[in-house]
Amino acid sequence: MSIATNRRSAKTGGASGAPVAGGRLLVDKIGKSFIGPDGAAVAAIGSVSLDVAPGEFLAIVGPSGCGKSTLLQVIAGLMTPSSGEVRLGEQDVTGEPAHMVYLFQQYSKSLLPWMTVANNVMFAFSHRFKLSNAAAHSRCRDYLAMVGLADFASHYPWQLSGGMQQRVAIARALAAEPQVLLMDEPFSSIDALTRLDLHSLILDLWTEKRFTAVLVTHDVDEAIFLADRVAVLTHRPAAISEVIETKLPRPRHSIETRESPEFLALRHRLLKYLLARNYEGAHG
Amino acid sequence: MVSRRERAMAVVLGIALPLAGLIALEVASRAAWVNPIFLPPPSAILATFWAIIASGGFVAPLAQTLLLLFIGYGIGCVAAIVLGILMGSSRPVFNLFEPLTELLRPLPKPALLPALILFLGLGARMEITIVALGCFFPVLINTIQGVRAVEPTMINTARTFGHGTMAIWRRILLPASAPYILAGMRISLGLGLILVVTAEMIAGSGGLGDSILSAQRTFLVKESYAWLVILALLGLLLTWLFTWVERRLAFWNAPQTQ
Amino acid sequence: MTQAVLDPGARSLPRPRVSRWRDTRATGVLLVLALFALWEASARFGIVQSTNWPPFSTVMMTLVAGLGDGELTPLVLSTLWRMARGYAIGCALGVTIGFAIALYRPVHRLLLPTIELLRPIPIPAIIPPLIFLLGLGDALRLFAIAFACFFPVVLNTIAGVSSVEPVYHQVAETFGIPRVTALRRVIFPASLPFILAGLRTSLGIAFVVTVIAEMIVGNEGLGNYLVTMQFAMKTSEMYAGIILLTAIAYLLNRAFVAWEARAIRWARLVEAMRGDPR
Repeated sequence: MSIATNRRSAKTGGASGAPVAGGRLLVDKIGKSFIGPDGAAVAAIGSVSLDVAPGEFLAIVGPSGCGKSTLLQVIAGLMTPSSGEVRLGEQDVTGEPAHMVYLFQQYSKSLLPWMTVANNVMFAFSHRFKLSNAAAHSRCRDYLAMVGLADFASHYPWQLSGGMQQRVAIARALAAEPQVLLMDEPFSSIDALTRLDLHSLILDLWTEKRFTAVLVTHDVDEAIFLADRVAVLTHRPAAISEVIETKLPRPRHSIETRESPEFLALRHRLLKYLLARNYEGAHG
Repeated sequence: MVSRRERAMAVVLGIALPLAGLIALEVASRAAWVNPIFLPPPSAILATFWAIIASGGFVAPLAQTLLLLFIGYGIGCVAAIVLGILMGSSRPVFNLFEPLTELLRPLPKPALLPALILFLGLGARMEITIVALGCFFPVLINTIQGVRAVEPTMINTARTFGHGTMAIWRRILLPASAPYILAGMRISLGLGLILVVTAEMIAGSGGLGDSILSAQRTFLVKESYAWLVILALLGLLLTWLFTWVERRLAFWNAPQTQ
Repeated sequence: MTQAVLDPGARSLPRPRVSRWRDTRATGVLLVLALFALWEASARFGIVQSTNWPPFSTVMMTLVAGLGDGELTPLVLSTLWRMARGYAIGCALGVTIGFAIALYRPVHRLLLPTIELLRPIPIPAIIPPLIFLLGLGDALRLFAIAFACFFPVVLNTIAGVSSVEPVYHQVAETFGIPRVTALRRVIFPASLPFILAGLRTSLGIAFVVTVIAEMIVGNEGLGNYLVTMQFAMKTSEMYAGIILLTAIAYLLNRAFVAWEARAIRWARLVEAMRGDPR
């Protein structure tokens, strides 16, 4: 995988159909509370509103346990909100919407161990797109090739390294051709060098496929490097305290971008902000 | 890496003990240190064993035992898997059947034999019923545990790709809980064999259990031991067979947890 | 032998909100009561016309009477005493041989194949030939019980000792602890959860095998009582015996589980600590 991330947008890999245009992702005053062990309601998300343009890359950062994953699961339709609503284009999101895919942090649990890599990838689309067996396999091969794993189609996930497994998960998510890809700390349990590699990969794929990307992470560098905008979440109950536009030029480069003064200034600002909040959270 | 010599050593040591035991019995019996009438020399038992095998006299009892075992085992396992899946995935169903299960589970299944004989007689129906009842509970408990142990992430994965309830059952819940279900089925197979043999002994209406107890009652000492050998081989064979099936069906389980 | 591990992902699927009543097992208790009522009614009102089917209340009164007039109590004690002896022999051998196998490689090679060879023998099958050797007395039944109890205990002990973290061995070595002390203070407690699981499995097996042995040979104990009552067509007594056996099995298991939970409380603490990634 090349380190520089860049490139044309219109041309798509041989496998995919039409590039996914998709509508605006609107998150309107979402709230979510759980019933605690004592029977009382505990608010995980206060009230969160987001407006994500088609093809935009939005990152959401926040301290551990602030309800980021809950928010993302609500957006994905995997969890029903206690209040508010999610809209994609003209449609209300209820249940699991056809055009959104969730990429899990725990790739080892998300990939199904009794299926080969190829079958895992086909699990994403075979029931939706009525393809012939040969067409399904070739599509699967194309997506695996995109993440550099064309030779591993007949392996089982547990025979691969962690980084390779998350690549399979990424290929599988994109094989469903989502308008929106929701990523839940997808790189947090991957070693640091592989993580940089996967950042470049995901940017390449995003540039090529033009899906809307929403990334939840606690890694400030990752958020700035990947996203157009970074939303900062507060402690529980989660609420958006600030949205920062990164305005870093694209294509972004693994090393240079991260060393640019603009990047460092953003990093400084975000870290200071998050650390200050942590401090308040710990003492207030 | 184990060297060749070491492996050969392991095999030799492994065979040594049973072999030494058999030789000791042979000597003890021939030298009349033990009463050779009650404990014939292993060579004589082996001869009787061969006679039973060669004459084909083992076929009918073995076939009967296996048939009843498999029918009862099949009924018990299928019922347990279906109910276990329902109980494992639905709280109301679990609450409905859990007290009854808790009440019936500790019941020592052979104790039901006298009652079953009253209702179903001494024949196949009684034997199938006791095997099915005995096999039911281990599989039920394991299935409930297996369904509950399925990773929520796996289910969410299927949901995010838009799979429906049926597909989630077939492609996630069933395979994910298969290692648990198979472990329960392994326990049940051993239990089922014990129950079918016990039932045959008490009912005396054919099968290997009947053969072995009849041999004892008619003082056919060597035959009695020979039937024991046949039953032991059957137990060993079933164990091997099941282990083989289990490895194939839940192949991902062992390497994954390494 | 799977252990619950704290799973950070588990919180992503909160339990659906349930009302207090639905979360109880009230429906299940009602079902059990309904089945007892059905038993009673079907027998009383002749829906099932049979001497094989006495009403539930009659059976329970027979049971209470049997326990009260001392007819059943000696049978219970005789069964339990027989079981306890066989169980103790089987478990003692199982733990001892299990440790020897797990700690010494030659013993492992010598004994394990034989154990694997003998384990699948269906227990009742060993009884008839052994009648020739051991007679119809208790020796035979004790042998059968001990034989059946031995295997789960020995295999769990081996698994337990083998699963002891090498770190524990190293800690023992680092501090120069003598081997016997290490065995007693480190290896034994660390493998205790496995051993206890084996002992619990064997307890259930011991009870079942005791009943089987009493049913097949001899004229003592509750197993024999069941068969005798069935022959005599005293069905109330027979059902009372079945209920009594179930109650004993249940109490034995509960008592063991309660004791086990106390014995390995520390093990669960260790597990919980390990399970937490932070």
